[in-house]
Amino acid sequence: MSALALQENAARALAWRQVTARVARHQDYGAGHRWLDLVLPAVAPRPLAGQFVQLLLEAPSPVLLPRPMSVAAAATRGDRLVLGFLYAPVGSGTRTLAALEPGDHVEVLSPLGRGYPLEIKGTPVLVAGGRGVAPLLFAADALARSGRRCEFFFGARDRGRLVGLEEARRRLDRMGSRLHLATDDGSRGFHGTVMDLLDRVALRLPQPLVIHACGPHSMLKAVARWGTGHGVPAYVAMESIMACGTGVCRGCPLPRSSQARAAYGRSGDGVPPSLLGNRDYAMCCTEGPVFAAEDLDWERVE
Amino acid sequence: MTKRPGLAERSDPTGPRIGSVDLMVRIGPLTLLNPVLTASGTFGYGDEYAHVVDLGTLGGVITKTVTVKPRPGNPPTRIAETPAGMLNSIGLENVGLERFRREKLPKLRELGAAVVASLGGETPRELARLMEALGDEPGIGGFEINFSCPNVSKGGARYWAVPRRLERTLLMLRPLTRRALIAKLSPDVTSVADLAKACEQGGADAVTAVNTFVGMSVDLDHVRNRLNRSTGGLSGPAIKPLALARCWEAAAAVAIPVIGSGGIMSGRDALEFIGVGAAAVQVGTLSFVRPRGAGEVLDEMVAWLVERGVRRLDDWRGSLAPRPDEACAPRPSRGTLAERLRPRRR
Repeated sequence: MSALALQENAARALAWRQVTARVARHQDYGAGHRWLDLVLPAVAPRPLAGQFVQLLLEAPSPVLLPRPMSVAAAATRGDRLVLGFLYAPVGSGTRTLAALEPGDHVEVLSPLGRGYPLEIKGTPVLVAGGRGVAPLLFAADALARSGRRCEFFFGARDRGRLVGLEEARRRLDRMGSRLHLATDDGSRGFHGTVMDLLDRVALRLPQPLVIHACGPHSMLKAVARWGTGHGVPAYVAMESIMACGTGVCRGCPLPRSSQARAAYGRSGDGVPPSLLGNRDYAMCCTEGPVFAAEDLDWERVE
Repeated sequence: MTKRPGLAERSDPTGPRIGSVDLMVRIGPLTLLNPVLTASGTFGYGDEYAHVVDLGTLGGVITKTVTVKPRPGNPPTRIAETPAGMLNSIGLENVGLERFRREKLPKLRELGAAVVASLGGETPRELARLMEALGDEPGIGGFEINFSCPNVSKGGARYWAVPRRLERTLLMLRPLTRRALIAKLSPDVTSVADLAKACEQGGADAVTAVNTFVGMSVDLDHVRNRLNRSTGGLSGPAIKPLALARCWEAAAAVAIPVIGSGGIMSGRDALEFIGVGAAAVQVGTLSFVRPRGAGEVLDEMVAWLVERGVRRLDDWRGSLAPRPDEACAPRPSRGTLAERLRPRRR
């Protein structure tokens, strides 16, 4: 990471705010997913791709803890921010979220964590698994805004799980980015995993490559292994059960790799150390959710 | 106090002025502006929330427990949500005494809030070592000894749930500091009252009742435990009635102040604890849900008291729980405060 990026990250670590957001749009997105647009007063910085927010669902919500959700789109509208979210109402928290209607209000902590280091030079290879597509759509947008194209790899178990495929295709076409599809059952695109596909076409892409990925941890593990094997830097957005999302509860540890343990304490990136993890564990909420793949111990990641 | 960014966003500028009710609380040598403290382990070292919370309005901040050596904490998974509550198995992750002194203490002195340092040890000797190092440090208003962590294999709640051990340990710590000395107790004991009495005998200025309850959560579908260790500490609204009973029991047993804790999510919850005898309260899990939760608890509490014309929190304290000895004494002619506040039937 560049010195400038480190500085920006440090400043951002304490830049989150608690604000009241208004639901502007809430609709079906296909494949059992929903799209939610929230309008926030712009007292907090605009999130970076890969950052997340905490949604504080109030009574009669059956859940107590806030829901961490990665940002799928961000736009500035006057003195307001419009943040988009893509989710599936599968648990009690997301089902409560699905009941929100346009005009409803929800408290939000935003923006949290660290995003993808998109400024790193090289061809951005975005690797999405299933609904892991959300932050990468945002990343593709951000890259396009700075005039950069990306190679977008999108994989899922079957074509029904390529969430929001048509929307992704439209957006990527507009940007002149390429979409590569893979399904485990071969029902759409390449027959195999998205990493099998990347392995096949990687040599034909403009070198050097830099990977930004989001998806199930099993997929991210494969991304990490491939990146290490090919000398390609890989950044992965991790998931963890969280309570606070801000670094105080210490509830979302991820095991550091031996090299990250050895380097621990030397980065001195200006973030209050108590917000970060310790030598053994990184905190997913404040040091992540985006990590350099080489910084995690993938044998111990669940 | 210097103005911090973000304070303008503070909710409820129209609420009743806090100054209209006397909220002052004394915990031994420590005076708190009001009775709402943030519970240990739920508010970091205070500075993490300083940009969104007006710390100067809080009664006090209790730090994450510090131990002699740094602790990496338990492996994942450390959190499991449960109905109306959460289980945690953090395992006393902390930076250790040396870094606490070097990095945290200077910041704690600038918080603008009363600071209580939480200390944890596997043995009485370890606690004494911490107290020798920190007992006279300026900027710390008091010490809360964590006799009740449910998530460590050594020196946890079970080890300390022995009245004589508590008493002896506190007798050892007492001469090492002139600041407030508070003992935080586990609810998973035969008698919280007996432990509270032992702490009083040992010279504690107050006890906190209670830490989290030992709980468990399994994932039937994936046939596994949800937490890394079999059990964790349960907190949140689910434990409030349990904690309220322990708090009342402790308050009835000792003359020193009892700090109520367990599932407080609103000003009304806090008033219930104070109503059964608590001198002050701690807000924990609520801070995870709403970082400004502790301040909101205080505002709601004041609004309730103002609405009912209660000018001093002391007048409300214990109104719902006469001590056993007072219960037999003749009632004052005007009736108890609780009786006066009770809505009349039409």
